[in-house]
Order: sequence, then C-alpha cells, then structure tokens
Amino acid sequence: MKIKYIFRYLVVASLMLHFTACTDTEVEQKFDKTPTERLNAQKSELQEVLLTSPDGWKAVYFTDNKQLGGFTHLFKFTADGKVEMASDFNTTSTPKFTSDYDIQLGSTVSLVFTTKNRIHLLSDSSPAAAPTAALRGKGYLGDFQFLYYGQDNGQLIFKANRTAGDSNSSEIRFVKATSQDWDDLSKNFLMIPNVIGSNVFGANRGLEIIDGTTKKTYDFNPYTTITRFGSYTDITSNNGIGIGYSPNGIVISPAIKVGDQMLSNFIFNSADGSFTATGTNGASASIKYSNTPFVISDDYKNFAPGQPQRVVGYIAPNLTAAQSNSVLCRNLIDKINAGLPATQSLARVQVVFNNAVNGTYIQYLFNGGKATITHFVTTEVNEANKTIILTDDGWTHNAATIAILKDLDAQLTNPEGLYIKKEAFTIVASNKIYTLANASNNGFRITTYQL
Amino acid sequence: MKIINKYKKIAVFVGVLALASCAQEEQPKESQLDYNQPLKTELDKWIDSNYLVPYNINAQYKWNQNTVDNTRFLFPPTLDKVKPALEIVQQIWLKSYATIGGADFVKKIAPREIVLVGGVNSNSNGTRTLGIAEGGQRITLFEVDNLNRKNRAIVAEFIHTIQHEYIHILNQTKPFDEQGWGKITPSGYTATWHLETTAASRELGFITNYARSNVVEDFAETASIILISTKAEYAAILASISSAKARADIQKKEAIVVKYFKETFNMDFYALRDEAEKNTTNVVNN
Repeated sequence: MKIKYIFRYLVVASLMLHFTACTDTEVEQKFDKTPTERLNAQKSELQEVLLTSPDGWKAVYFTDNKQLGGFTHLFKFTADGKVEMASDFNTTSTPKFTSDYDIQLGSTVSLVFTTKNRIHLLSDSSPAAAPTAALRGKGYLGDFQFLYYGQDNGQLIFKANRTAGDSNSSEIRFVKATSQDWDDLSKNFLMIPNVIGSNVFGANRGLEIIDGTTKKTYDFNPYTTITRFGSYTDITSNNGIGIGYSPNGIVISPAIKVGDQMLSNFIFNSADGSFTATGTNGASASIKYSNTPFVISDDYKNFAPGQPQRVVGYIAPNLTAAQSNSVLCRNLIDKINAGLPATQSLARVQVVFNNAVNGTYIQYLFNGGKATITHFVTTEVNEANKTIILTDDGWTHNAATIAILKDLDAQLTNPEGLYIKKEAFTIVASNKIYTLANASNNGFRITTYQL
Repeated sequence: MKIINKYKKIAVFVGVLALASCAQEEQPKESQLDYNQPLKTELDKWIDSNYLVPYNINAQYKWNQNTVDNTRFLFPPTLDKVKPALEIVQQIWLKSYATIGGADFVKKIAPREIVLVGGVNSNSNGTRTLGIAEGGQRITLFEVDNLNRKNRAIVAEFIHTIQHEYIHILNQTKPFDEQGWGKITPSGYTATWHLETTAASRELGFITNYARSNVVEDFAETASIILISTKAEYAAILASISSAKARADIQKKEAIVVKYFKETFNMDFYALRDEAEKNTTNVVNN
C-alpha cells in the first residue's frame, strides 16, 4: 500500500507539472513588429530620408543654450557614406568639406559624423579653442553623434548623444536646405555687427515682448561674440539666450514664449537696428533701441540723501568704448578732450554721494597734470519718477576753468534728474556697473563703475 | 509487482509526454541585423594590407563611441591625416621592431587595435594626454590632425607617444622589475609632476617630469626617450645634468631597460634605437 501511494502522488505531481509547464508565455504584442525590426526600419528610414533633400539639410546647432549660441551647419549626404559640410563656426569653415558619416544602430539609431568635418570644431578640447575659461578642455561642448527621434513636418529631429539623457537637452532639427542657404552661409558673419549693435539708434537697448495686448520690456545686455551668448534682464529676472546668425537676422535659443507661441526667428531691420520675431494674433518680440529706458529700477534709493556714501565713476579708457555710453555722452566727452591740450585728457567723472564731510559732489579728474575740478551739488529724489535730481551748489574753480565741463555737467545736473541703474553686465573689471541717464530721455547715458 | 508494473507504464507515458510536450518551439531564423561589410575605401584597403594582414593590427580612424572616453571632448581625424600618421607609425615603430626583434615580434606582442583621434585630449590639470595603452590590447593616439611629417619635433612627439605606449604594452605582457626600479629614486615620484620641469626632474634622476608620476611611467619614459633620441642626443641629455647621483640613477634605470629587452625579448635595445633613428630620418626627409 505504501508503495502504491507513493507512486500515485508521484504521478499526480508529475502530471500537474506537465500541465502547467506548457503555459503560453506569449505576451500581447503592443507593436506590429519586433524591436529589432522597428530599429531596422528606423535605420533605413533615416538612411533614405537623408538622401531625399536635393540641396541637403540645414541645422542650427545649439550645444548648450545656457551658455553658448548656435552654429549653422549645412549637410549634403550621399549614398556612399560621404557628407559635404559647411558651417558658420568661423570664416574658414564656410567652404564645403567632405568627410564620412554613418548610421549606427546602438540602443537607438544615430547619425554619426565619423571623420573630421566642420561640426567637430565644436568639440575641440585644445586650450586655444576654449571660448571661456570655464570651458577649458571642453571647447564648445559639441557632439557629432546624433540620436534620431523621427520626423516632424519634414524636419528631422535629433538629440546629441552626449546630452540626450538630460531631459532639458534641446533638439537638433535638420530642415531641408536650399542652394541659397549654401550660397549665403558666409553672409551670416555680416549679421554679427548688427547683433553687437550700435547706440546710434538709441541710448538703451531692450527686448520688448508683446502678446497682442500687453507689453513687457527687458534690458538687452551687451552680447559676447566668442560665446554667441547674450541676456535680457528686468528687475527680477536674468534670462540668457544663445544666438545663431542668418543672412537676414538671428535665431535664438531658448525661444521666447509669448502666450502659447514660441518665437525664435528674428528679422533684422537696418533702418532702426532692431530684430523682430513676429508671431500670430499680434504677438511679437523685438530687440530694439530707445532713449527711454526699458527697465527703470529702484536703485536710486541707495543714493538718496541720508544713505551711506557711495561712489560711482566713469573711468577712461576702460569704459570709453562701453556701448552703454550713449552717442550724446561720447560726443560730450570727446568735446572736453578736444578742448584740452594734447597732453591732457579726461580721466574720470566721479559722483560721490553722501560724503560725511562734503555731501554730494561731481569730480572731474584729468590725465596729464591738470588739477581735479569739483562741482558740489544737493540731491533730492523724485519717487514717482524714480530719479535723483542733482542741483548746483558751487564749484571749486572759476567760471572760465569750468567752462569746458559745462555741457557734460549740464546732463548730470539736469532738472529732470537721473535714472541710476545697476546693470546686469560688467566691463573689463569685476566692479558692478551703474549707468546714469538723463531722465528727460534726451539720449544721455553714461557708464560708471561702483568704486 | 502488479502495481509497480501499472505505474511503470504510467511513468513511461508521462516521460514521453514530458519529452514531446514542448517540442514545437520556433527555430531561429536568419539574423535581422545587418551584417553586410561596409564598402572599403582605398584607405581601408591600404590599412588592411599594411596593418591587418602583416601585423594583425586593426587601425581604426572612424569614430566609435565605444573605443573613446565620451566624457572628453574629442573628435576623429581628418581623412587625409590618417594615412600619413599610420605611415609614420609603420615606418618608425613597426619596422624598427620587426628589423631588430624579428619579423614576427610585433605580430605576437602588439596592440590588436590602434585608435586614431584627431583632437587634443585635455586634462583638468591643464596637461594633454598624448596616448593611452589599454590592457595590452589597444593604443589610442591623439592629436593626429596636428601631425606634420616634415616637422621633426612634431614627428618626434608623436613617435614618443607610440614608443611610450608600446613600452606599456610590452610591460603589460611581460612585467619588468618594478621593485628594483622603485628603489633607485624612491622619493622623487609625485602626483603633481606637471608642476615640475623636466630640467629639475633630471637633476633628481628622472628623464622627464612625466617620469615622476609613477614607476611604470618612469620605465616607459626612460625607454621611449632613449628610443626617440640619437646616441649623441641622449649623451647630451646626460651631460646636461649637474648632479652626478642623478646621472648615475638615470643610467641605472637605462641598464634595467636594456636588461629587460635582452632577457625578456632577446633584443639589443641600442640597435633598436639606432634603427628607429634611421627610420625617423627617412620619414622626415621623404
């Protein structure tokens, strides 16, 4: 009996195992094809589409739009694994150059530029190629293995392999190029002086964003060509933007959000030096000039009567070429220098606020041995206008001696007062920059260091 | 017995069921991956006939993210820089070793792969990495795009790199007497070698400042500097050292190198140097 039971249990157990062993393990397929088939399909799709555009593709590559601008690249692929390329990285990179490319299958499908061409200029880690000290050994943070993310409206969407894991990394879009794009590539460089800007169009440069009804304004700060990076700021925010050039304007990244529209393509207007991106329903963004400040700050309060001593000073030559000196300001300084003997020049214009002994005064200092001239003033604030008004309280020198300074001095002591603003940029030295502007908006604005 | 027979039959039936039940699995078909060999260019064919066939070395110049450090900002070489670089490597390094060590020497002990990188490999301390030898298998050479075969200093630096890295490959295959070497100038090694000058390092018994990073680099630097220098140039280096002890220390290290080549590979190190010198002159002048 014992043996019989043992066999019975064994057989039952064995049968149970067999009936469960062949359970159907197949899972319901979410896709028609296997992952390998889908990857292969994507690979051949990319291979084919790259060859479809007769004049190749154009991409403005922003390697890191938190610190660098965009570089326009043109690509023309051929079926034998060769690619012709040109870029506006520098003036020697605009002629076409041929190298190899490959479509590689890894965790995803990627386009790889396998031998050196223009795009590799962005990943040159030699010390001389670093755009800033912080980027030593990293060049322009570029990549040349682009993971393929599919198509959108005839555009090919990629992400750089190096940064694809970062959810904030931006797309690289290949759009169909035209023969005009190839012909005009070197015209991108002609846009650089316009981006740097010129204050002949106004004492202030700002960014004006209109969403159809309301207007928001920012200062547009001086632009750095080596990084192709700039910024726009108001009292509470500091927004960096990378800039890429085109023959008729600029492309920016990150794009400016107006309502639910993203504006990034700006067209240059040579008549007023402005760049404008136009959306729909009255939305627009415009980098433009005005004698009226775009941002008025509360910084004047720190210079009001009763505050501790503060000194700001225009210092030649560090601040001579500052773009935030308006044309009127430069002309007045030039006029003073022209009136001085050849061995002398204006070295500083300093405003000392709230000195314990002498109150507030404007000092004019000279190179070449000429004695300092001081203009004592009284101050009052106009809180409604956010200005400080400097009023004459006597000079250290007689009328004949101070005559040469009269016109410049009249701007600083004008009855409407001065806008005093701490700027978001520095020039040459690390000192904070303050600008002093005539509050009558006549176009006078002078740049000073906080001393 | 009856019962046992009955269960025997059942057991056989179950056994057959077990063997047959899961037999209808799909058999693997042809691979879906594309295994077609890419078209070979003239350059690829040249590499095959000058590296792959004679030395069993794969010279890789196209970018492959798996053979480089992706945290660095590097780029592949310009196409027309590849062959000149490989010719220099072939003439000065491979041929010198083949002549002195025997035709099969490099074939047996060689990196299986030479990876060419066009750009500079910058380190955070401001130095540049010129070459890397990995696991006795792969040598990566950087700055191929800067190579100019008419410029002896540039050629010498490039060859210095490959001689240095190949010494590592040899060491990774057959170790040298690291303990004995370490006793010669034990106090001169430093992690901040890049802040030292070569002149000052020579006064401490090191052939270069980089030799001070550790014993293994010291060996590779000592051997490779002798290999890329003429007999007279090396004598001048020794003569320029004012410390008699430092000079003697470098010569002790030189003796270990010579002994290592003789005992481990039965190779006359000085003959190798003369051959490399002859081939270098050929490259620069032709």
